[in-house]
Amino acid sequence: MQYDPNSPIWLQVMTAIKTDIVTGRRPPGEKLPGGRELAVLYTINPNTAARVYQELEREGLCESRRGMGTYVTGDEERIAQVRGTMARQAAARFANEMEKLGIGRQEAARMILEEEKE
Amino acid sequence: MMLASKEITKMFGRKTAVDHVTLEMEPGHIYAMLGPNGSGKTTWMKMAAGLIKPTSGEMTFEGRPVDIESRKQIAYMSTEPYFYTWMTARDVGKYYGDFFADYSADRYRALLERMELNETLKTRELSSGMMAKLKIAVTLARDARVYMLDEPFNGIDLLARDVIRACILESAAENKLLLLSSHLVEEMEAIADRAAYLKNGVLVECTDLEEMREQRGLSMADRYREIYSHSEGANA
Amino acid sequence: MKNLMKYEWRKTMALKLILLGITAAAEIAYLIGVFRHDENWAAISAGILTLLAFGGVMVIGLNSVVTLHRDMNTRQGYMLFMTPNSCYKILGAKVIENGLSMLATGAFFFGLGALDIMLLFAKFSTVGELWRFLEDFIHSINNEIQINAFGMACFFLNLLTGWFSVVIMAYLADVISAALLNGKKYNGLLSFVLFLALTIGLRVLENLAVSALVPQGTGINTVYLVRSAVTLVFSAGMYVCTAQIMERKLSV
Repeated sequence: MQYDPNSPIWLQVMTAIKTDIVTGRRPPGEKLPGGRELAVLYTINPNTAARVYQELEREGLCESRRGMGTYVTGDEERIAQVRGTMARQAAARFANEMEKLGIGRQEAARMILEEEKE
Repeated sequence: MMLASKEITKMFGRKTAVDHVTLEMEPGHIYAMLGPNGSGKTTWMKMAAGLIKPTSGEMTFEGRPVDIESRKQIAYMSTEPYFYTWMTARDVGKYYGDFFADYSADRYRALLERMELNETLKTRELSSGMMAKLKIAVTLARDARVYMLDEPFNGIDLLARDVIRACILESAAENKLLLLSSHLVEEMEAIADRAAYLKNGVLVECTDLEEMREQRGLSMADRYREIYSHSEGANA
Repeated sequence: MKNLMKYEWRKTMALKLILLGITAAAEIAYLIGVFRHDENWAAISAGILTLLAFGGVMVIGLNSVVTLHRDMNTRQGYMLFMTPNSCYKILGAKVIENGLSMLATGAFFFGLGALDIMLLFAKFSTVGELWRFLEDFIHSINNEIQINAFGMACFFLNLLTGWFSVVIMAYLADVISAALLNGKKYNGLLSFVLFLALTIGLRVLENLAVSALVPQGTGINTVYLVRSAVTLVFSAGMYVCTAQIMERKLSV
């Protein structure tokens, strides 16, 4: 994975794992790699990896079970919620970009639909 | 504090290689030691390894001055090749086994395999990249408390760098300290969590990297440019 | 310590094997000469063997000094000084390995020489002349040497300890120049001057000590033994000095 060295790496890895969770690539209840494994997997510092799990837990997407490791939450409602938030954020980013180009929301929406057709 | 230098200075003749450096390092972290050639990284590491005696000041490992005992727990890898010319990769492993109680022959074999090195290779005939990998393999085959790797990525091609980063990360642990120096700054951006910047033998700062990214939006490399551009020796 | 010595042996092994090879070749030539009654072969190879016997010990000592120099002044030294061993042990391994090598070489050539001479006596009936030649040769070194096994052993022991102390002195001079004059100009020259001064100084001290310990008119064998003991004591002192300087000052 390539990182943007100017923004926190924990945030970038966290976003990647969040995406995996909300898209079902990491299904609810699945065991996640241990902290050190995660560090090797993503080639990041182990402390950064620990931070990733801390933040994921804080968002309610993961839970650590004592002595057993970290698991994707079984709370599918919470996952759907996070997915909604991430989608809204993406939409906002997109709208923002289009606005910079002088394209209104309706035209932007139409462009998305056309994009899908192609 | 696991490894610390207090006002440490080393002069070679009239030249000051390390100038009153006070630096404290804790276990559980991977430190990057940065600076152009001649900024004092290697000299500082060699003092921590007990190979060079400081002119003044003190280097301590777990509160005691570095000495013979600390060499049992500090694994140092020099940037230059240093094995005896008659040795094969197997001999190198045996040598470490003869002198270091924390050396594991199994781990050495596993590391050699991952780095695609054969035990029968003669060190005299190794390319610089293979030599670099061999040095890392035998150093990480020790179960040391401190690993100091001076320029671990030098002479190593892009693909092998990934392997080495993985091996380095696997050696990290809560109770261990890793210190890497490299002028290939980008290689260490994601694996280090703290960076010590040395300039002309003086410590500029020792920073937490994620904090710097969060608070100032600066990468390790950005800070490197800030510190060293417009200075002599910034061409490295 | 055992491991340190093992690697000291490994570092200096090549030269010893070469020496052994040349000796074997010269010995074969000598045997051929003796059995074929070819005086030229026998004489030339005997000369080479004598040279090897005296030179071999010297060369082994010299090689050990060169090895120490390399260990202190090239990156090869990391191999030694990164190990958790004190300089006393590191230097001690060198001293013992070298001492044993010199002793073994000396004993080897002593034994070989004795066998070769015995062979000569066995082979030729008219040995009176040869015996006189040998006597002359030995007495040209020192008039008082007694030509019997004990006398020869005393003589060679004195020779060996002498060389041994020269090697230790060279260690000391080299360590002083590497540890205290590190990176300065004329490092090598100073080391050599220091070595000469040390050698002369030590010999003077040795003579004083020996003449103080041994009354006038004592037999040459006793003098040799006392001198050997004095030399070894001085060598031990120099070893401690050298290790101390390494421990405190040496940067590799």
